[in-house]
Amino acid sequence: MLELKHVGKTYPHTVKRTLKDINLTIEEGEFICIVGPSGCGKTTLLNLVAGLEEPTKGEIFLDGVPVKGPGADRVVMFQEAALYPWLNVMDNVMLGMEFLGIPKEERKSRALKYLKMVHLSQFTEYPIHQLSGGMRQRVALARALSMDSKILLMDEPFSALDKQTTNMLRGELEQIWMKDHSKTILFVTHSAEEAVYFADRIVVLSENPGQIKEIIPCDLKRPRQIDDEAFVHLRHMLLESVKKEVVKFAREEYDEA
Amino acid sequence: MQEKSTTKLKKGLELALFFLLLIVLWQVLYLLFVDVFKVWKPYSAPSPAGVWSTFVNLLKSGVLLSALLKSLGRGGAGFALSVFAGLILGVLIHHFPYLNRNLKPVIMGMQTLPSICWVPFAILWFGLNNSAILFVVVMGSAFSVALAVDDGIKSVPPLYIKAAKTMGAGQRDLYLKVILPACVPSFIAALKQGWSFAWRALMSGEVMSSTVGLGQTLIIGRDMADINQVMLVMLVIIAAGVLIDKCIFTALENRVLRKRGLM
Repeated sequence: MLELKHVGKTYPHTVKRTLKDINLTIEEGEFICIVGPSGCGKTTLLNLVAGLEEPTKGEIFLDGVPVKGPGADRVVMFQEAALYPWLNVMDNVMLGMEFLGIPKEERKSRALKYLKMVHLSQFTEYPIHQLSGGMRQRVALARALSMDSKILLMDEPFSALDKQTTNMLRGELEQIWMKDHSKTILFVTHSAEEAVYFADRIVVLSENPGQIKEIIPCDLKRPRQIDDEAFVHLRHMLLESVKKEVVKFAREEYDEA
Repeated sequence: MQEKSTTKLKKGLELALFFLLLIVLWQVLYLLFVDVFKVWKPYSAPSPAGVWSTFVNLLKSGVLLSALLKSLGRGGAGFALSVFAGLILGVLIHHFPYLNRNLKPVIMGMQTLPSICWVPFAILWFGLNNSAILFVVVMGSAFSVALAVDDGIKSVPPLYIKAAKTMGAGQRDLYLKVILPACVPSFIAALKQGWSFAWRALMSGEVMSSTVGLGQTLIIGRDMADINQVMLVMLVIIAAGVLIDKCIFTALENRVLRKRGLM
């Protein structure tokens, strides 16, 4: 269980409060999507949970223990693949497990298992620079999954990819998540479609200060079809909710002067 | 592949022809100004033929080879020392903000001092010997290595470090398995720069002191008023410096960059 209690974040030298009083409890195995207008602090929220940044107010607890700094129980998948160019595909996947002190044989077999899962088992020896963007992100996914962390934090991991690749990766991620339902995923996205596709609950952030505007439960049957009526309806609702925020923000920001 | 090697051959041929042209021009100038117009005295103008015969003589007597080997050995030792010192210094000024604020400007200042300015100091400290030259070499290149190392670590993409941290990498793993390998290309660039500084500093040291080496051979040329020998040794110094850079550092650099898809 991940708990955020009155979490706030203010950066020095700015008047703007990035995040204000975030209260959120996430159960084990839940798939949570965070949406909101750009600049509302989605990524900051994720970084706080990851321990890459510290909240200026409030606290974050993972299974009752306060989060202090980054750790392998909260692996992050970034917008860019963050692979290491001096290692090949296989070694990149194995490096995370090496940090965990997993013995070499097991590292190998696990890496292979997850590379198969993302359909890259033929590319284990490839250098990173010979992979396409989508393939790189799949390697990053395999690496993140192989670490078997309690929580997987994903920061718009598919946003830089083309439509086809995105769809394929979505399907893969969903399948992997559905397999054992034990992994908690916190997924930041700016795509309403993606949020409705994945989430058990969608957290909508408002802007300036960033706070939780509403939490939309999303219990459509899986696997979800994006042209399903209920899907379209929910997506529309979500878009409206976010759009209102954007309009409100634009008014405050540009009309006041 | 075939095409690549032919363009390489073409380029090499072009360069060789250019050098030939330079030598021809040199010879023509020599003939004109020394033999025809008699503006230059023969003893103050080097000629291609004269340099060549000096080359053959010095090669036969073994003087050139032993001087070259001595200088290379000394340069190599001094360079190794300054890489070692520069690495440590570079990591230190990167890691401790206090040193970065205060010691780094001092190192940058030292870096602006031409290495020949260390020679008098070295002679007073060590005497006219090998240690003095090594000292000059280290002073001439360690600082540039340190600054390049600091720069190299600084230019590691923050995302590499963030990703490693969220995968549970400790300080040791972070430095050894992420930051260090990420720095390899800039380390090689640092070595390259360090070598060129070391080689120059070595010559400053050798010219001033009196142990066997290219610098001393150069000075003997001056003492005997043998302009051809002076010219020859200068050419050998250039050739040795360039060859080491091309055959070791640039080759290494290309290999690493190619492996990472950076060229």
